[in-house]
Amino acid sequence: MMKPYFDGLVASIQERIDAEPDGPIARKRLTLETARIGSRLFAGDGTVAWCGVLAPFDLLHAMGVDSCFVEFVGAVLASTGGVEPFLEEAEAAGYATDSCSYHRAVTGAALQGLMPVPDFLIATSSPCSGGLAVLENLAALFERDLFVIQVPPFASEASVAWLADQLRDMARFVADHTGRELDEERLSAAIDATNRARALMVELYEIARAVPSPARPRDLVNLGIVFALLMGTEHGVEVARIYRDELKARADAGVAGTPGEAVRLLWMQNRIQFKHPLERLLSDELGAAVVVDELNDVLWDPIDPDRPFEGMARRILSIPLVASARERIDNMKRLAREYRVDGVLNPCQWGCRQGAGIRGLVESGMGDVGVPVLNLEVDCVDPRSFAEGQLRTRLEAFVEMLRDSPRPDWR
Amino acid sequence: MVFCGMDVGSLSCDAVLIGDDEQVLAWSVVPTGARNVVAIGRARDEVLRKAGLADDAVRATVATGYGRARVEGRLAAVTEITCHARGIRAHVPDAQLVVDIGGQDSKAVLLGEGGRVLRFVMNDKCAAGTGRFLEAMARALEVDIDELSRLHGGATGDLKLSSMCTVFAESEVVSLIGEGAEVPEIVRGLNRSIASRTCSLVKRVARDTRGMVVAMSGGVARNAGVVEALEEALGARVAVPPEPDTIGAYGAALIARERWRAGQS
Repeated sequence: MMKPYFDGLVASIQERIDAEPDGPIARKRLTLETARIGSRLFAGDGTVAWCGVLAPFDLLHAMGVDSCFVEFVGAVLASTGGVEPFLEEAEAAGYATDSCSYHRAVTGAALQGLMPVPDFLIATSSPCSGGLAVLENLAALFERDLFVIQVPPFASEASVAWLADQLRDMARFVADHTGRELDEERLSAAIDATNRARALMVELYEIARAVPSPARPRDLVNLGIVFALLMGTEHGVEVARIYRDELKARADAGVAGTPGEAVRLLWMQNRIQFKHPLERLLSDELGAAVVVDELNDVLWDPIDPDRPFEGMARRILSIPLVASARERIDNMKRLAREYRVDGVLNPCQWGCRQGAGIRGLVESGMGDVGVPVLNLEVDCVDPRSFAEGQLRTRLEAFVEMLRDSPRPDWR
Repeated sequence: MVFCGMDVGSLSCDAVLIGDDEQVLAWSVVPTGARNVVAIGRARDEVLRKAGLADDAVRATVATGYGRARVEGRLAAVTEITCHARGIRAHVPDAQLVVDIGGQDSKAVLLGEGGRVLRFVMNDKCAAGTGRFLEAMARALEVDIDELSRLHGGATGDLKLSSMCTVFAESEVVSLIGEGAEVPEIVRGLNRSIASRTCSLVKRVARDTRGMVVAMSGGVARNAGVVEALEEALGARVAVPPEPDTIGAYGAALIARERWRAGQS
C-alpha cells in the first residue's frame, strides 16, 4: 500500500512541477524529496532504519542507510485520510486512545504488516519517552536490534562530549549491521551539504520575518521537522535554495503570502496533519497568517567538519523540545519578537504530555511579553474527534480578541 | 432605526431587536431543533411580530452562536465570546468576568478596560455541566427542567456526584433515588458538581475570583440553584441580567448597531 502511494506521489508531483516550471515549486520540491525517501524506505531493496525524531540523518545518509523518524509515517497516514484503521489496530492491541496518535498510527501500521522490516532501529530518548517506547516495541515486533541515543536535557560541554561519543557508537552499530564502515569522505560531503543547507535555511527564515510575510499559508508547514530527513544531501541543499529564492522574490516584490494580513501568529510544535479547514479559515476568512512555526528555526552553529560528531551533538541539543520549559518559552518569546507576532496557537496534541504539561507556563510566559495564547484541544493525527465547529469558534474569537487588543510593542 | 441580534445555539435560537438607544424592543427564544434554518426564521418572525415591525425595518443583523453562518442577510457573524462580553457589559457595566453556560457550551471570559476581552476559555471534549447535562438529569429525576431550578431549596447536605459524564451521572442519579436519597439533596449535589466544574474552567482565566464582579449569561443562569452554588464556589456574587439566555443575541444586536453606524460614517 505505502510503496505504490509514495511512487504515485512522486510521479504526480513531478508532473505538476513540469507543468508549471515558472510557478512556485518550493513546497512541491519538499514534498517530492520526502516522497522519494518514503518510496526508498518501502522499496525493500536498501538498508532501512526506523528512527527517533532527533536521529542524525546526515550521518545515516553518509552510511548508505534509508532512514526516517517513525512519526513521519503517522503524519503521512493522517495526510492520506486513511489513518483510522491503523489507530484502531493499535487500540485493539491495547494502546490507550489517549496515548499519542503519531505513535498509535505507526504501531497499528506495523501490526498490520504495512511497515517494512528494518535492518535496525535507532531511538532517541528525547523529545518524548513515548517515541522511545514505540521504537522499543517495533524492535521487539521486528526482532531487530535497537540503538538508543540518550539525549541529555541541557547543552553543557560535558553533554556535548557524552552525546558525541554516543553518535560514534551509533556509527559503529550501523557499520556492524550493514557491513559498511563509515567513509570519512562521504561523511565530509554530507556535513558540507548540511552546512550549506543550514545557511540557506537561516537566510530563508530571515526573509520569512518580513511584514507582511511572503510565505503562503502552506509554504512552511512542517518544514523544520521534515527537513531533518534531507540533511546531508544535495537534494536538501536544492530544496532550501529554491525556498530561499522564492521567498526572496516574493519579499522583494512586497507580495503578501496571506493577502490582507492583519494578524500574525506563531504555531507551537506540530501542525494538524490530516486535511482540515482551519488553516484556510485563518488565512482566507480572518486575515490571520501563521508567520512562524516553533520548530522552523536554526539554533545550531555550522558543523565543524573536523569535529562532525560534536557538531551533530550540538545540533541535537539545540532543539527546543529537548531543553527545559523555561528555555523553550524564552525561545518562543524570541521568535515572537523577531517575527512580530500578535498571538500564539498551541494545538495541545492529545496524549502529548510534553505539550500539555507546560500549557500554563507558556500562557504566563508569553503573557509577560503581551502575546496571548490560544490552546486548541485537538489531535494532530487522529481525525475521529475533530470538532470543527468548536475549533472554528475558538479561532474566530481569538482573532476577534487580538484585533480588538493593543498590539505587542514590536507591532 | 432597529437592529437585530441572532444567537443560533444548539438548544435554542434567540433573536433580540434593539432601537438606536440600545434598549430592547422585543426578544424571542425558540427551540433550535434539527434544522436551525427553520428555527432562525421562526425566531426572527416571532421577534418582529412581538415588536410589531416589518422585516425591512431592521437596518442590520449580526449573527452569533454555532449556527451563525446560517443566518442569511447578516451584516456580520461574530463569536459568542465577543457577543456575550458585549451584552453582559451593557447590563453589568463593571463586570470583570462573564460565565456563560448554554446548551452544550460553557465559557469563561475575563474582561478588561471598556469590556475588552482579555482571555477566554470554553469547555472542550465534553458537555458535562451544560444545559444538555441538566436536561438529562431532570429526565432521570422525572421532573421538569424549570422545576429543577426550584428543587434545591431547603437541602443542606453535602451529597456529591462522583461522575460528571452525562451518561454515568444519569446512572448515579437513578442509583441515588433507588437508595432513598431525597430529590432536593440530589439536586443540590448536581448544582455543586456543575459549580465545581465551572469553577475549574473559570480558574483558567482568573486564578482568584474572590471579590470579582461576576456576571452570568446563558439558559443555565435561570437556574437559581446553580447560580447559588457557583457563588459559593467562586467566593463572589454572581449577577444575573434579565433574560440571561438572550444576552448573546443582545450583544450581537449592539454590535450590529455599532458596525452599521460605523459604516454610515
